[in-house]
Amino acid sequence: MRGGRLRDGLVLAALLLYALPFFWQVLTSVRPDTELLPLSHLLPSRLTAVHYDVVLRQSLMPRALLNSLGVALASTGLAVGLGALAAYALARLPVPGRGLILLGMIAATAFPQIATVSPLYLLVRALGLRDTWLALILANASFALPLVIWLLAGFIREIPRALEEAAAVDGAGRLAALRFVVAPLVAPGMASAALLAFLFSWNEFLFAYSFTATEASRTVPVALALFPGVFEVPWGDIAAASLLASLPPILIVVGFQRYLVRGLLAGAVRE
Amino acid sequence: MAPRPARAAAALAVLLVLLAGGCHERPPADGPITLVFKHAKILGPADPVPGLLRRFEAEHPGVRVQSEALTWSSDEQHQFYVINLEGGSPPFDVMMLDVIWVPEFARAGWILDLTARVPAAERDAHFASAIEPAVQDGRLWALPWFMNVGLLYYRRDLLAKYGLAPPETYEELVRQVRVVQAGERDRRLDGYLWQGKQYEGGMVNVLEALWANGTRLLDEQGRPFPEPERAREALAFMRSLIERGVSPAWVTAADEELTRRPFGDGRAIFLRGWPYALDLFELPDSRVRGRVGVAPMPRLPHGRVGAASTGGAHLAVSARTRHAALAVELVRFLTGAAAQRAMTEGAALRPSRPALYRDAGLIARDPTLPALLPLILAGHPRPITPYYLMLSTTLQPEFSAVLVGRKSPARAIRDGTAQVLHLQEALTR
Amino acid sequence: MSDRRLGWLLLAPALALLGGLTVYPALWVIWLSLHYRVPVFSISRWAGLAHYAFLVVDTRFWNAAGVTALFTVASVALECGLGLSMALGLWGQRRARRAAVALLLLAWALPSVVTAKMFEWLYHPAGGLVNFLLGGRPINWLGDPLLALPALIAADVWRTTPFVALLCYARLLTIPGELYEAAEVDGAAGVQAFARITWPLVRSILLVALLFRTLDALRAFDLMFVLTGGGPAGSTETLTVYAYRALFQTLQVGFGSAIGVVVFALVMVVAVGYLRMIHRQEAGA
Repeated sequence: MRGGRLRDGLVLAALLLYALPFFWQVLTSVRPDTELLPLSHLLPSRLTAVHYDVVLRQSLMPRALLNSLGVALASTGLAVGLGALAAYALARLPVPGRGLILLGMIAATAFPQIATVSPLYLLVRALGLRDTWLALILANASFALPLVIWLLAGFIREIPRALEEAAAVDGAGRLAALRFVVAPLVAPGMASAALLAFLFSWNEFLFAYSFTATEASRTVPVALALFPGVFEVPWGDIAAASLLASLPPILIVVGFQRYLVRGLLAGAVRE
Repeated sequence: MAPRPARAAAALAVLLVLLAGGCHERPPADGPITLVFKHAKILGPADPVPGLLRRFEAEHPGVRVQSEALTWSSDEQHQFYVINLEGGSPPFDVMMLDVIWVPEFARAGWILDLTARVPAAERDAHFASAIEPAVQDGRLWALPWFMNVGLLYYRRDLLAKYGLAPPETYEELVRQVRVVQAGERDRRLDGYLWQGKQYEGGMVNVLEALWANGTRLLDEQGRPFPEPERAREALAFMRSLIERGVSPAWVTAADEELTRRPFGDGRAIFLRGWPYALDLFELPDSRVRGRVGVAPMPRLPHGRVGAASTGGAHLAVSARTRHAALAVELVRFLTGAAAQRAMTEGAALRPSRPALYRDAGLIARDPTLPALLPLILAGHPRPITPYYLMLSTTLQPEFSAVLVGRKSPARAIRDGTAQVLHLQEALTR
Repeated sequence: MSDRRLGWLLLAPALALLGGLTVYPALWVIWLSLHYRVPVFSISRWAGLAHYAFLVVDTRFWNAAGVTALFTVASVALECGLGLSMALGLWGQRRARRAAVALLLLAWALPSVVTAKMFEWLYHPAGGLVNFLLGGRPINWLGDPLLALPALIAADVWRTTPFVALLCYARLLTIPGELYEAAEVDGAAGVQAFARITWPLVRSILLVALLFRTLDALRAFDLMFVLTGGGPAGSTETLTVYAYRALFQTLQVGFGSAIGVVVFALVMVVAVGYLRMIHRQEAGA
């Protein structure tokens, strides 16, 4: 409960150890091929950038990164955009059956992807959307939407009604109140929801694997899973590609930690 | 006279029809016609395909052939094709197909019927076991491009050292492994390497064992495991190779390359492999250069020698191509004798035309060709059905479970039979 | 415009998207599971409950169910135990808290495919760090049917424990320090304090974590698919991987949908069961 410098240091060291697999992958990405297999020494004798060079110049990862970025940004925008409006309606407005709808949202967060992937695959196929960004954007957005709505509804409920009522007294209509009173207050919550939605879309694998065919729409997880190796598996290149694939998540964890944590906790604690 | 709007509508309709019809038969006007040719990377010392394509372009002015490579893994290639061909407008005209996909693609309506466009003589110039899988309902759907057959590679020097001839039975092979290992006392010398990983290659190995024991996977009516006892024996034998130490345990995770390399480094006595490996073993810097021989696959008690799987690639034309005649010409060109000769010279590929195996020029460059001919003729194609891949992916886990010792052969056959019967329920119309 | 009207208007787009891409497919997959459907060959026929009848006697299905159950129970138990310990350890942290949480969340935030590739390399018989640290023995973690599942579970635990740890940590932070000071005055400290004060307050959040993690483990797909592909010999093939193979490898959309429906039902049953339990807990607490 009470700690000293030593204790804090030990805890930090333990966490560093916990993240060891990640750091090992970083090391692997700069280790020369000859020292990868078999592993004889922990530290490489020299560092090399050849794996990153191969990944950035000769592989399909750059295109995959672009695909992932586009799909993630668009699906996040869609999910948060539609979700914020729906959350406000469910939290504040007398929509008939809103209790049931909210319950339905919660139930929808538990849907397994493997169950919906076959009908979605047939739908994507029928609409000719295979190997397109749109298919993934819609699929990811629809999968993130229940969670976004659930989160934002909770955040909106935390805002005291008195503020909106005061705005009403001042002559502002519902929509104006939404824009000028509620939105600024729920903005941090929306940031949290957006980060979670972005992370989900960036990391999403099953839909992406099933709906894409070529590098035209292949996202990063799929490109990584299908990383080509003609004879032997290029572990160094894969490590480099893995790290490039991890950049946005790392950025979010390090740079936007507060929002991320808030979103995670809100999702769990809210009942 | 019809009222004004109706006349206008009729005129519009006629105009549209004319336009549509005209669009269909628009003559190839400006700009070169580009044929897209999708194929896997060609293994071997040189890649003869670009040269061949340039030759085709020279003979067909105004035509460009754009060659596009497929991914390395066979499963991914198949997935790529399925996704694109199902989509309706695949961005390629000519495609290289693994022989086992041809019936499936034909049944799905994705490839062009070549029967009218390929004379019977040209058809008969290929191996029968290569043409057979390409024929469905009496129609021809693809032409063979290159040929494969399973071979037993052995170390000539080691066998000669102990006065042994290539084994005709598997029990003899096991005995020879014991003799050589005892004599060499080299702990790193493995006995018999083969592909036991859970993938199509593993399925090939199991099929070869079944055939070697005189049984097969499906009977004429398509029922699975018609002789279950012989199938059980064959599977049990494969598992026993690992249990007895004749094959190292890692073969259950090994594919062609993972087994070829140790053999090529001199660390195994026998290897089951495809012909391309021979070229790699005979490279100047190969450690086993000049010391490798090929023999027919051995047999088990109830079967025959040389019951190896044939394989290889075919060329087919997409049913949605806009340049059908040209695409078919490209296919006939690439599968023609001249092109196949160029491919055999340049790459580690074997032709699908028996005549080339007696060609003096080719034999001069590759003296093993005459030896391969009878082996190919003795070979056996995998079950020719549009549902072969479904069958294979259903049974692979069962066989894999036997090889790693997780299931008994009898149980695997029972479970496999149930799964195949369930699969077939869906497939019968 | 009335509030009600506005409410519907704001709700409509979201409901449309969800209706079309979540609800409709959820119903459609049940419909599909009652058919023989092989789109590649244009096969589409009524099957009734034939697929389900087959699943009852299909050994591969029961193997997958067993693997799923084992994976879920082991993963969740380890995650909760480890997560709580981490949270307790992190609890007095004063300095570099953000760095500590960042290191913790890193494992959770990485794409599951990245984690799968990472562990595939760690478990490599010749080049992997694990065998190196064990003295260079060539243990084939992912190729041995007895070792593959534990190896998979370890990877999943590593990836998801931070979520549990964070939840517990956040709850621990809300416990006022005065409670412990008061307990010390009464003579209770250490384990007793934990049992009397900490545990009751943390228990409820742990139950929530248990719910989330169980649902996630039942639905898990990415990690096992990329790390082992369900092998060797089906020893890591969960229901999700079996469903995927049926759908996209053997192209049996009807049969694969049936397995998907089973997973669906399982997840829903667990979710309802847990929610009831949590509800009862809250009512009683």
